[in-house]
Amino acid sequence: MSGFPDPLEVETPDEMEGWKEMYPPHYIFSEERAEWERRQFWYLDKIHAPDPMYPFDLIFHEAWQIALAQLNTRVFCIPPAQGVAQRILGCYFYICAVEPPSEETIQKKAELFQKRAFYVFENYEKENLYEKWEKRFRELGEEVKKIEVPDLPTFEPDERVFPEPRGYFTSYDLMEAYSKLIDSIYKAWQYHFQYLNLSYLAYLSFADVVRKLFPAISESTIGKMVAGADVVMFRPQEELAKLARLAISLGDRVKDILRSDRSPEEKIEELSKFPEGREWLRDFEDAKDPWFYVSCGSGWFHYEGSWINTLTVPFEYLKDYIETIEAGGSVERDIDEIHKKREEIVKEYRNLIKNEDDRNAFDQAYDYVRRIYSYAENHLFWVEHWFHTIVFEKMREFGRLFVRYGMLNNTDDVFLFNRFEIPMIIEDLVTSWALGENVPPRAEYWKGIAEKRKKILEAARNWNPPPALGTVPEEVAEPFTVMLWGITQEKVTEWIKGVTYRPEDVTEIKGFAASSGVIEGKARVIRFLDEITQVQEGEILVCPNTNPSWAPVFMKIKAAVTDIGGLTSHAAIVCREYGLPSVTGTGVATQVIKTGDIIRVDGDSGTVTIVKRSEG
Amino acid sequence: MKYVRWFDEIGKDDISSVGGKAANLGEMVNAGFPVPPGFAITIDAFEEFLESAKKRGKKAHIARIISKVDPKDTRELEKVSILVRDIVESTPVPEHIEEEIVRAYEKFCNHVGYENIPVAVRSSATAEDVPDASFAGQQDTYLWIRGKDSVVRHVVKCWSSLYTPRAIAYRATKGFDHYEVSIAVVVQKMVNSRSSGVMFTLNPANGDVSQIVIESSWGLGEAIVSGEVTPDRFAVDKVMEEIVERTVSPKTRWCVFREDGGVVYQDVPEEMQQKPSLDDHEVKELARIGKKIEEHYSIPMDIEWAIDRDFEFPESIFILQCRPETVWSKRKKEPVIKAKSGFDLIMSRATTTIKLKKS
Repeated sequence: MSGFPDPLEVETPDEMEGWKEMYPPHYIFSEERAEWERRQFWYLDKIHAPDPMYPFDLIFHEAWQIALAQLNTRVFCIPPAQGVAQRILGCYFYICAVEPPSEETIQKKAELFQKRAFYVFENYEKENLYEKWEKRFRELGEEVKKIEVPDLPTFEPDERVFPEPRGYFTSYDLMEAYSKLIDSIYKAWQYHFQYLNLSYLAYLSFADVVRKLFPAISESTIGKMVAGADVVMFRPQEELAKLARLAISLGDRVKDILRSDRSPEEKIEELSKFPEGREWLRDFEDAKDPWFYVSCGSGWFHYEGSWINTLTVPFEYLKDYIETIEAGGSVERDIDEIHKKREEIVKEYRNLIKNEDDRNAFDQAYDYVRRIYSYAENHLFWVEHWFHTIVFEKMREFGRLFVRYGMLNNTDDVFLFNRFEIPMIIEDLVTSWALGENVPPRAEYWKGIAEKRKKILEAARNWNPPPALGTVPEEVAEPFTVMLWGITQEKVTEWIKGVTYRPEDVTEIKGFAASSGVIEGKARVIRFLDEITQVQEGEILVCPNTNPSWAPVFMKIKAAVTDIGGLTSHAAIVCREYGLPSVTGTGVATQVIKTGDIIRVDGDSGTVTIVKRSEG
Repeated sequence: MKYVRWFDEIGKDDISSVGGKAANLGEMVNAGFPVPPGFAITIDAFEEFLESAKKRGKKAHIARIISKVDPKDTRELEKVSILVRDIVESTPVPEHIEEEIVRAYEKFCNHVGYENIPVAVRSSATAEDVPDASFAGQQDTYLWIRGKDSVVRHVVKCWSSLYTPRAIAYRATKGFDHYEVSIAVVVQKMVNSRSSGVMFTLNPANGDVSQIVIESSWGLGEAIVSGEVTPDRFAVDKVMEEIVERTVSPKTRWCVFREDGGVVYQDVPEEMQQKPSLDDHEVKELARIGKKIEEHYSIPMDIEWAIDRDFEFPESIFILQCRPETVWSKRKKEPVIKAKSGFDLIMSRATTTIKLKKS
């Protein structure tokens, strides 16, 4: 046996009783599928879900489970790859790469793969496939923004009766609005994978070639050869840099307001009082959509917030940026310089290849990955950040409606119900509205569930779920599993060790050597972006993972350590760009390290050592 | 100056006159690499020494004695070697040659600015340092030699080292003519080595040409060469110029100079054993020099280096010698990937699975 628990035997604490009802039944391990489930290898997906899962937030996962797999198995037909299956155990999210299909299916898929995948590789640039994708995707997001969540009128207005009665009314509108929102989420996530599986494949294929030619090359160097500089991911940060420059050029009054300690709302109010301030606000408003639709976290959870609804974050960065510029520093990334540097690196490695056939193979593989890889970098902003922000905002409109009619106590309680349950609340509400005056809905029932689930999630936060379940597989073929979650022999071995570890006993942890250099310093453990203002100059950032909205903090820190993410993760890319040491994908850094500990980050070997524990 | 040539006066085309080692040191000096200063005593000096008026024909005489030896008969080899070396070492050095060597040494002392400067006296054979007939280590090297008399005495010892049992056997087996071979000598400022070691401009473990691998230990390089210690190991990515691997080993022994000349093995003080023998700046600077040396010679190289404790970084770094890397340079004629289109490459990736061992 592998050393991992049987998924059906894991016991959850009594306080978590009721967690199973929070999620769709097909997410729960059950006797019905036990034989298959025990045979698979399930691991805690800390990349996408480091915390207990809110029932509504599961929707994006429900959507990707279908969309990712469908691309592998039914559309581009990556021969031995099947999908990535999901389960919830004790509110925690587990995934598994499904074992390869039969030999016969692999053969059939290979034919289709050749025909279809290569069509995309060959035509990605020629046919402007990315541009077409972005256009369609943004149209979808705009449609979601336009969905109206109507209030329930005491009487339908005259316009709905004259000149011709409309026939369907607000009760239907509300149900339709919700359905449209849900449909759009599923559609967006189908788009999400349109070219992603193939761009990962191109990356892995290039990495294979490079590793054969340079057996000892580091993954982070491969990442550097492939990474684009002008990717959308950096845009929010760049917009802030522009706004900071503009503020300085508009004179002291604008600059001083932005540098002051007032709240964002007060700053906006002040700025609107004079022409230069209003000029700045115009540019600010222009930049907001789409560039402030960036999550303060990963984009996966409603509670992370986005810049657009957490203005303290961008305003705090603006203040830092203005101060940096005033002190003679630079806040812009020199894209030409980054491009030039990347080209030089590739050229130098290429020059080291003495055999002509090998050099051709290198060129060919590089050509493929350069053609399509930007998709992997760009889709992230549009889907996980921009689109998810729109969705969460729209859901809050439903939440506010429920609060208005006493169905729930708080707007965000709406996220305590899974996507199949919300229609019941809507139906209960519109039924009571339609039935007429003084007809009560079951408001106390819904509020009761919300309260109970809050307690369950709280209990789940204090529970330590096993890192993996089931049986270690013999082989993994699914490109995402390899690329995104970095499943390798070493990882599995680390996890097996991890089953029994106690955080306080650990003095050294291992991860990816994501950005080189060695540095020692004080750790600052940050779990959510709203804590980011606690980070002090010269500290070492320790966090679950980072994303574009964290970018400005990299100017302050001297190294970064993450729980999750490989060599192409956001933290890895940004650290390499800023020349900061970084170790990513440690799995446990935020559990093992405490703020104030003195740690040594060795970005060359991928080791983090706890040199001295902080007092108390 | 007929018998002495300073490093900056010689280059790779002077092997026939100053031997391989000296020619190569000259080549490196002229290419701008940090080689400890010094001079070569030419083959002419040796030739004239053995053919000097009083002892005319001595070299031919020696060749005759040696040519009769069976290279497989170690006892006989030993005997002949002692006999011949004795003949050489008892031969007085012609005055004008001795004078020129002494003058060069004194000039050297004046130039560096201290008296009786310690030098290394090494033989520089004409067939040495050739990739396919590596003579390296076949002739003697004398370290930490001070004073003019001692220098001259060790120059003669180097000359006689042309006739060590190993050298005799080697020539016999390879079919080199004992009469034709000759020897030059290198006199070079001794590096006061805090750390030293070797550097390969490829990864010797896997032939990866994108890496430079440095092995380093405390004290003189002899400790590594003789296998007395497991050295620290650093790998540097040539393109990124970043340290990608750092393995610090416990270094329990080191080789240091004795004040009265020569070297001695000692235990490394305990507090130093676990410490890396190079810091990051030194590793990167060495790698940078290694990369340049490789560029200069256009082939992967095997380089000996040392860090001098009497100088400040980066002046503390010295290159002692270099030679072409032989193991991987011979292989690797075959393509690693072979002719494959981007299509083939993606296809092979798409059909590959990652095997995991069951634990």
